[in-house]
Order: sequence, then structure tokens, then C-alpha cells
Amino acid sequence: MPFPPPPGTFEIDFHGIDLIRSRDCVIFGKGPAHNVAVDDNLIAGGWPGGQGAQWVASEADEPTVTYSSGLFGGFLIWGSDESADQYTAMTGNQLVYGHAVMMTGRAVISTSSYERYTYESRIGGGPLVPLIYTAQQTLYFSLRGLWTYEDELVLSGSPLQPARLTGVVCQVPKIINEFFLGLQTRL
Amino acid sequence: MELPRTRDVITQVKGQTFPVGLSTNLTQLGWAGGQGVLWIDSPYDVFTVDFSDGRPAGFLLWGSNELADQYTAYTGNQPLYNFAVLCYGLWLISTSTYERYTYASRTSNGPLVPIVYNPSDRLLFSLRGIYTNEDEWTLSGDPRAPNRFYVGSVMEVPGSNNNNFLSLQTTM
Repeated sequence: MPFPPPPGTFEIDFHGIDLIRSRDCVIFGKGPAHNVAVDDNLIAGGWPGGQGAQWVASEADEPTVTYSSGLFGGFLIWGSDESADQYTAMTGNQLVYGHAVMMTGRAVISTSSYERYTYESRIGGGPLVPLIYTAQQTLYFSLRGLWTYEDELVLSGSPLQPARLTGVVCQVPKIINEFFLGLQTRL
Repeated sequence: MELPRTRDVITQVKGQTFPVGLSTNLTQLGWAGGQGVLWIDSPYDVFTVDFSDGRPAGFLLWGSNELADQYTAYTGNQPLYNFAVLCYGLWLISTSTYERYTYASRTSNGPLVPIVYNPSDRLLFSLRGIYTNEDEWTLSGDPRAPNRFYVGSVMEVPGSNNNNFLSLQTTM
């Protein structure tokens, strides 16, 4: 359909609005979200928005998470040091207070926090082999808690295999979406 | 009390919703309310769906040309503007969009054999994205069989007391 549409027709296809992706994790459909404490590893290493997180024991009476190692509790909405937070009251806020917001359940998001290369090529020392995402692929958390369609618990020979489903691909990374991965979570 | 069933999908408990773009198949062929869909890629920055082949992204709340929309501003609205409302998560619905007859009888030349639904039956999407208690991946010899993408379970079976609507709890 040409734009503007020919006279006499009301057929307009907007092809979507311009989706602003100014954060690591952009939320289109919101799932349940709650406050969690983050462990020392997360505080020391920081994390991007969309990072997968799993539960960890804590001496405090607070639900506490660390980086996912293929298991899950949910994903952290905001990164610990995103460029969108600079020069605002959010700068370093989560690290200082040791807390983050974790989303669970069903959500529709677009994120830059996903594995770009195959597990084998990342640990093999050879050339990096890109992962090819397709719509409706099932997703898991990788051994470092990023979204991937590879079951890294199986690939690494972990006794915890197989990995549990964490989502499906809605939209593959491409130029028009700034190479963000669109996905529907099933956490 | 009496539940008016004036649309393809009657919502009793609402889950999550999200507006989505539509494939050419959907806009050209139309769909019923409750139609199961899956994600497909699009050349545009639009989250887009097509008829489900047994894999779920969710279901479409409103049909493309429902009787209840006639002579309203909603007539043909969704195919024209290429959008629909995707439903996912936990819903309790009553719908007329479910497989009435067994896959075997639909794909053979014999008489149509009704599917018997029972409360708590686990539900899948059929090869055309409609609720069924049959695993059509297995029945059709699909290499992806068995289909483990359960999308819900039966609450109330179709009957004369509910206008032959299937009531179900979704879990997709």
C-alpha cells in the first residue's frame, strides 16, 4: 500500500509506531514485578537490563538473587549502570542499595541482553559463530543468564540439564529494531 | 445467572493483553475470536502474529468480522488497520472457537466424529490454531510430535446450557 493512500481509500498501514529503545530492556507487556535484593556477585560485577537472575540463599530475610546459571527466578528490568540513567537520581542507585526490580511471569519485552554467539564458539577459542534467531523459537537462560535458544546446561554437560523454558522469540534482531531481541517471557 | 454469549470469546477473568500486527494470511482470510496465533518475523518493527500451527503465542480476543460488530465503528476495523489484541497468560474464557470434530475424521472422507471434551482435559492448539484436546502433531505425523505446548484446560464442556461454548482456563 503506497503512502499516502490513494484517494477514496481508507486503507492505511502505519507499519507500527517508532519504538524507542533507550534502555537495555524495553517493556511492551508487563508481567508481575517485585523488589529483590542482589548478592555480592551482582553488586561487584554489575548487570545489564534484561539479565536473568536466580534465587540464592541469604542471611537476611529478603528474597535475594544472583546471576542466572541457566536456572531462573526472573529477569532484572533495569541494568546497574545504563547510559539512560546517567546524571539522574538512578545513577548507581541499585548497586548502592543492593536491590533491583525483577520481573516474572508473562511479559513482552525487547532487549539487547541476549547471547550473540554459539556456546561452542564462545568457549572454543575459534572464530565466533553467530546465533540465528527465528520467530517462535523457545528461549532459555545461558550459563551467564542471558537469553539464548541454546540449552547450555545440555551443551556444558551440567547435571541440572535440561534447561527450563524462559520464553519464546517474538521478533528477531535486525537493523530496524536496533538489533534488539523481542521476546515473550514464560517465567 | 445467565451468561450472554454474544461474541466468539466471552471473558470471565482477564489475563494479559498486547496489540500486535497481523500476517497477510490473517488479514486476507479473517479469523474468529479466540483464534490461536504464533509469532512471525516482519520487515517492520512490529510484533506480528500468524495462525498458530500448534505453537502458542496467545489467542486473538476479537474476531475479524464478528456478528456483534456489525453496523458499529468496529466493523472490519482490525483487518483494515492490520492490528488485533493478543491475549496471553492466565484467562478464564468461554469460546465458540474450538475443534468440534476429531482430526482423523476431518482429514478423511468418512463421517465427522465429534470430539468429546471433559472437565480438566488439557488443551492444545490444533494445526490451524483452534483449541482441541487432541495432539494433532502426533496424529498428523509431524516430526515435532508430541506437542507439549499446552495452552489450557477445560472448565466447562460445550452443551445446550451454554450455547455450545467451550469454557477454559488458559495457561499460555
